[in-house]
Amino acid sequence: MLEKLARWSRIKSPWILHLNSGACNACDIEVIAALTPRFDIERFGVLLKATPRHADVIIATGPVTRQTRDRIIRIYDQVPDPKFVIAVGACAMSGCVYRGAYNIMGGIDQVIPVNVYVPGCPARPDAILDAAVKLLGKL
Amino acid sequence: MSDADIIQRIQQDLGGRAIEVTNPDRRRIFVKVNPAELLSAVTLLRDKYDCRYLATISGLDKGETFEILYHFASPAANINVRTEVPRASPHVESITPVIPGAVLYERELQDMFGLVIDHIPDPRPLVVPDDWPAGNYPLRKDWKYERPEEIIPGGKS
Repeated sequence: MLEKLARWSRIKSPWILHLNSGACNACDIEVIAALTPRFDIERFGVLLKATPRHADVIIATGPVTRQTRDRIIRIYDQVPDPKFVIAVGACAMSGCVYRGAYNIMGGIDQVIPVNVYVPGCPARPDAILDAAVKLLGKL
Repeated sequence: MSDADIIQRIQQDLGGRAIEVTNPDRRRIFVKVNPAELLSAVTLLRDKYDCRYLATISGLDKGETFEILYHFASPAANINVRTEVPRASPHVESITPVIPGAVLYERELQDMFGLVIDHIPDPRPLVVPDDWPAGNYPLRKDWKYERPEEIIPGGKS
């Protein structure tokens, strides 16, 4: 019974944390656009949270730089279980054009486990919405 | 004032300090100086030619030497002060007494090329990560980057 309630509340209110680890801001604008009434990701209960301690889902954009690697792990550890990660954009998937640069570690999956990948440079808000819905469908 | 006039005046003002003054393109003037006379040349250019706005400092790895280019945007022309230092002892004088804003570019030069800027007010690293191993200078031509092995979630297929 309690488990059922927990699952229901998890699906109905996946609060997100927007994490930029060195993106060029294009994906960030698309993530913000997905939150606006035009695309309205909030109809699935998604709310943007300011701190990882309130969040269930990390929406990560950008490649992992050497400087942000440890900080990403720290943020990931602060998110309460169960936690999910959506990698938005080509950079978060593989590093994209930054791949092979001297201070780039690669995609976000080099540091933390990723549940959903959203391709695109930048990804459309619709695609981010689709990723969120697919993640919720898996729960 | 045409480019030829500016070149003539710079050559007169700098005297022996200017090794070479060239005009590769319209309204662009290259002034080559010795690293020892850099500070006095920049002081003169700032005071007499209004080179107050330092657009950037760029570095160039030429193998045996490093070339440092100071890009000044003055109302008369774009004046680029070039100087070359040997790779074995890459010491160059800081121009912050004349142009205080140059400190950021000089710190970046130190990080990227391993140049030693003498009398720099703030020698901390600027652009490299905190845990960057010492002695690695990414923009040197002989620097090789070894990418950490990539983790593929789920393994290769």
